[in-house]
Amino acid sequence: MITVQFYSLIRLLLKQEKVELPAIGDETVGQLIHRVQKQIPTPFIHKLLDDQGKLLLGTIIMVNRRNIHHLKKLQTPVKDGDVVAFFPPGAGG
Amino acid sequence: MVMADRYNRQIALWGKESQEKLEGAAVLIAGVGGLGAAVAELLTRAGVGQLTLVDHGRVDWPDLNRQLLYCEADIGRSKLQIAERQLRRINSRVKINLLEQQIDPSFICPTEISTVADCLDNYVSRFHLEANLPDETYLVHGGIEANQGQVITLQKGTSQPLADIFTGVQQPRGEIPVNGPGAAIIAGYMANELLNTILGKPQLLDRFLIVGLGDLHLDFLDV
Repeated sequence: MITVQFYSLIRLLLKQEKVELPAIGDETVGQLIHRVQKQIPTPFIHKLLDDQGKLLLGTIIMVNRRNIHHLKKLQTPVKDGDVVAFFPPGAGG
Repeated sequence: MVMADRYNRQIALWGKESQEKLEGAAVLIAGVGGLGAAVAELLTRAGVGQLTLVDHGRVDWPDLNRQLLYCEADIGRSKLQIAERQLRRINSRVKINLLEQQIDPSFICPTEISTVADCLDNYVSRFHLEANLPDETYLVHGGIEANQGQVITLQKGTSQPLADIFTGVQQPRGEIPVNGPGAAIIAGYMANELLNTILGKPQLLDRFLIVGLGDLHLDFLDV
């Protein structure tokens, strides 16, 4: 299974903490996002991706504790046992 | 009761040895606004030996809903000067140092500092602060925006850098919504973690505490 965890405003939007999906071969984070959306009635992709499918700059996406900007961004592969987190941090102080 | 009894209630909690550690500690607080003012007050009341405050702002009306050290008479005045005056009134035993400057690539962290509170309000300054800390320094980061906030402790040279964790996150345009209770809650968690860290027991090392200020949920995210 792949565990996708939702934090802060994403969690508030979706009203759930996480979703678990079975792993499928050769899937990327970008593909996983769309698969998660099919499992959840509330639209959330617009919080992560722009109209061209590129990463927006408000939410961190982590795979196994690493920001995907330091992996292969949306092309980062995901596999069975991975933990993916969507976290839009608070910017103010 | 006399002044020497001022820490009795907390010594009952963590013991004399821990109190002595706090009194020997030097903490830098970067940003003395919504989070930093409350953190500074709590560390001052706890008896942390030395606080170095860094800010370059002046008190303005929109600050007064949450920045606990300032009042109407302080409008237009240097935040650091006011903060120093207020903190000295609270606890004259704490040594207060002021660095009235922006945190940019030239920032130099004083050598005696072992623990830093990131109470800044923008990512660029946060990344400059972190980049200029000596290895092994503990950085307790806090952030708040609308009904959410987060706190994490990182150790320079060992933990993932904050700049790596937050790569790709853009500063929101315009004013960031924030209220007084929310800032006080996140600042409270930060102050608690700073004391834990000084005492050698950080609870949020490489672990975000994510606080939902509206629905009051708490989450952890390991990094």
